[in-house]
Amino acid sequence: MNANMTYKAKILVVDDDVDTVELLTKRLTTEGYHTSEAYDGERALQLVEEYGPDLIILDIKMPKVDGYEVCRRLKGSEDTRLIPIIMLTVKAKVPDKVKGLDIGADDYIPKPFDYRELSRRVRYWSTVKMEVEERVREIKRLEQELIKSERLAAIGQTVGSIAHYIKNILFGLKGGVYLVNVASKEHEPDSLQTGWEILERNMGRMSDLVLDLLEYSRDSEPEYESCVPNEIASKVCEGLSVKAGEHDIEIIKDFDPSLPEVLLDPKDIHRCLQNLVSNAIDACMFDPSEGKKWVVQVRTMREDDKVVGFEVSDNGCGMDEEIKERLFTSFFTTKEGRGTGLGLLNTQKIVKEHGGTITVDSEPGKGSTFTIRLPFRDVATREAMAQET
Amino acid sequence: MKKVLIVDDDVDVTKLVSKLVERAGYEAIVAKNGVEGMGKVREDTPDLIILDVLMPKQSGIRMYRELKTEEPFKDIPVIVLSAIAPKSFFRSQEVLAEFAGQSVAEPEAYIEKPEEPEELIELMMKILG
Repeated sequence: MNANMTYKAKILVVDDDVDTVELLTKRLTTEGYHTSEAYDGERALQLVEEYGPDLIILDIKMPKVDGYEVCRRLKGSEDTRLIPIIMLTVKAKVPDKVKGLDIGADDYIPKPFDYRELSRRVRYWSTVKMEVEERVREIKRLEQELIKSERLAAIGQTVGSIAHYIKNILFGLKGGVYLVNVASKEHEPDSLQTGWEILERNMGRMSDLVLDLLEYSRDSEPEYESCVPNEIASKVCEGLSVKAGEHDIEIIKDFDPSLPEVLLDPKDIHRCLQNLVSNAIDACMFDPSEGKKWVVQVRTMREDDKVVGFEVSDNGCGMDEEIKERLFTSFFTTKEGRGTGLGLLNTQKIVKEHGGTITVDSEPGKGSTFTIRLPFRDVATREAMAQET
Repeated sequence: MKKVLIVDDDVDVTKLVSKLVERAGYEAIVAKNGVEGMGKVREDTPDLIILDVLMPKQSGIRMYRELKTEEPFKDIPVIVLSAIAPKSFFRSQEVLAEFAGQSVAEPEAYIEKPEEPEELIELMMKILG
């Protein structure tokens, strides 16, 4: 092996018998190995960490931690299990040999030993170790490559989806401009109105996309502040009451009055609820049923001192299995061109950053319920967290 | 008056294309997904279909296949209008054809958004005469 010629394998010799250690290290050094030595198990374990041997020659009977224990610990740890161990066993005792091999020793040499025999085994096992290492390195390199190519594929897909969305917007803008031009040339007020509306809506879609993309790519921890969940929910309901009212949709608030001040990122949670309530209103608007009394219900909940919950339900159009499955995939939208397909994804991202969960329950024609459950962090928790750090 | 069915989930597109259809002198019918689209096809038997590819519920890919395998409708000309690259659409039709063991005719035209609105008018008039 070429590697053997340039690289000196590092061998750790462990024995409480000073003479054996001296003899072995001297001979091994003469053969071109690099050595280190320990006279008890405890020191041996320490040296494995500091010295990083390629091979260990290990005696069984030792003070403090014995050879079996050293072997068991090294073979039980992911970091050290690939280091070959040659055990020195007393010749006559077959059970010792078996026990050594049972707990993972790679080889054994009967004591008293002939150095020539030991030398061959050392050469064999250090070669094996180097080959194993080379393969491990190769696997790690391939893993890195795979991760890199997966990341590139993901970026490619995202860029593709954004481009698709922008192409649609551009088509809208071109169409809007076309209609406005037609209107001014041919004095057609109707086209002017439609064209202008299309232009405005597509500009809106562009700014929605930019805002959602920024949120989507933002990689930050929530900024926890003391706040009252019911106040956040209330603000969201008020903000959307006009839109709901325009379409005869009633927003019902059902807040748990026992919810105290907790730690949340109020801006983030506001954004989540805003998204869910606005989706719920859309779901009612898209519901083709006639004469239905549409309702969006916003609930806040407290589950002991463990969970702060928000629930947004509607009796709108609901979703079938196919749509439900794709809900949290990027750039998927059912909103007839008005959604960026990132809203729910961002909501989910924020909830996850808070260590919470979001679930959905829905039936076509009956409506949907989205539930956010966040870990309950009150002011006392924050003090405990501060003390820890 | 000849009828043109527009199948697209984007309200702006259906509004705009409806205007274009009317300017070209035809009647516009609108559907917002493949299921609704096939319903309108059976109801109104349009003379031309302008079809988007990516839509919730049934996509344009499946609707196209359904249309082209249903006897009374398979000769209705189709213009595919989508931001999806043509090769993705054609590839999906190949896959469906392999799966079903039967291939269908290609669309009359494929327009990749964003296209100039005039082009669409010209194309419609060329196909419908």
